Amino acid sequence: MLNPESMDNRHVSDDVPIDAQAPTDRAARVAKLFDEHNRSLVAFLQCRLNSRADAQEVAQEVYVRMLSLDENVRVDSPKALMFRIASNLAVDGIRKHAVRNNAPVDPDTDDWHRPPIPERHTDAIQQWGVIEEALRELPPKTRRAFVMHMIEGREFGTVAQVMNLSERMVRYHVSNALAHCRARCNRAETP
Amino acid sequence: MMAAISMQPDELVLREAATWWLRLRETHVPEESVGQWLTWMDSDECHPRAFDQIGELTEQFATADEATRMRLIAVLAAPAAPFVAPVAPKVEPRARRARWPVYVAAIAASLVVAVFAGRLLDRQARDNVSAGQRYASSVGQNEDISLPDGSSIALGGASALTTRYDNGHRLIELDTGEAFFHVAHDEKRPFVVTAGPLAIRDLGTAFNVRRTDQRVIVAVTEGRVRIAPAGRSTTNDGTVQSALEAVAGQQVSYDPVTAAMTVSNVEPEHAVAWRSNRLEFDNELVSVVVANINRYSRRPVQIADARLGAMTFTGTVKIDSIDSWLDALPQVFPVRVSSFADRIVLSRAERK
Repeated sequence: MLNPESMDNRHVSDDVPIDAQAPTDRAARVAKLFDEHNRSLVAFLQCRLNSRADAQEVAQEVYVRMLSLDENVRVDSPKALMFRIASNLAVDGIRKHAVRNNAPVDPDTDDWHRPPIPERHTDAIQQWGVIEEALRELPPKTRRAFVMHMIEGREFGTVAQVMNLSERMVRYHVSNALAHCRARCNRAETP
Repeated sequence: MMAAISMQPDELVLREAATWWLRLRETHVPEESVGQWLTWMDSDECHPRAFDQIGELTEQFATADEATRMRLIAVLAAPAAPFVAPVAPKVEPRARRARWPVYVAAIAASLVVAVFAGRLLDRQARDNVSAGQRYASSVGQNEDISLPDGSSIALGGASALTTRYDNGHRLIELDTGEAFFHVAHDEKRPFVVTAGPLAIRDLGTAFNVRRTDQRVIVAVTEGRVRIAPAGRSTTNDGTVQSALEAVAGQQVSYDPVTAAMTVSNVEPEHAVAWRSNRLEFDNELVSVVVANINRYSRRPVQIADARLGAMTFTGTVKIDSIDSWLDALPQVFPVRVSSFADRIVLSRAERK
């Protein structure tokens, strides 16, 4: 038993252009796009917003925007558009963050029907002790750059100036510190 | 659940992830970068997981509470090198080194650790039999002392010292309190300040010494000093004891509990702020803070609960407004301030 909608879907692949087509077809394509790229999209937004919860919220909004695109506009690369919309919304999201944090949760907007956010295996790290130990193992410069940027919240430029290093080097130190820290956490979790 | 247990990404993959993470966080991210990152994400099943893990970690740092952040900063920003020279035999350098490898390396770079026969100072002290001149200031009163050799001493409130000069030596004993020394350098007549457990020898210098019982902090504002344990050099075989040199901008703290000297950086103005009526404390025990405030407070401050004294305080206390500092204390510490006619008592505030 085949209905027309599912027949159309058979041929939808990753990044095909969205043409001015029947709304149901377009919706299916957008849904497929999200199924395939949702993880990256949320990861991207989490990076921009530094919050998993906010990232998921904004991902929903991206989905809604994609669905409500003008039907007469042909989109060459929906995937690129998706990340462009995400990028723009993230900037807004950062701006509105303080406001939203103070606002009570609206149960109606809290639970969108689409897209399904896959349950993620959470590797929650709660042990500050392990993190502290890991950071102590780092060379002094790496540790200092990390503390100044990640904990004290200073810009790379400021850290670079204070430490008399290039911004590139500061980034290098900070990413090494993050990686080392996380690797230690993973090792601590492994029985 | 059918989900396969995937491999944990190794540190190299995590490094790539962290590098991407930082790049994508820049204010302006070019679309090509996003594309490259997506290619990276898809190129190995380990990559998205590593990227998520880095995100989780940064989110944890971003949402850490203030207390955690403060602790991490205190522990990691490393103003101090907790271990430099063993002063008492019970200290186990190996154990400490193992715990603080990076610090030791840092000190080696920033400090000239001198080794000399500690006997020297002792002999000087023994040889000197002159009665000396004693100076003492009263509570709340700073005193300036000019010495015959051109050196000068600024003595803090409720502080006392004795000077013993002869042809070969200039010996100062800081009995209690705080003093700033500006020394007319003379190699033939070493200028040595003993402050309880420490002996500080001038090497062309201005320096500040604060002694709170056996706890001593030496801050160098100009030139350098050599600091050695005082009166502990009496081993019969002439065992060489370690000392260390501190230069301008460094301070050495002696902690009687661990019997260890620690070196940290200090702003020269910070070290002698007391001369401008400000007492500066950096991660200092409340008991020590109170003892120093008492050198300036009309009414002595008493600590009724030892647990309070063991807490630490960082900040400034203005000598002319000690009372308002005390009034604000309950906002920072679980403390109740009770004011009496002749004293102020700090007790532990009951939990609500």
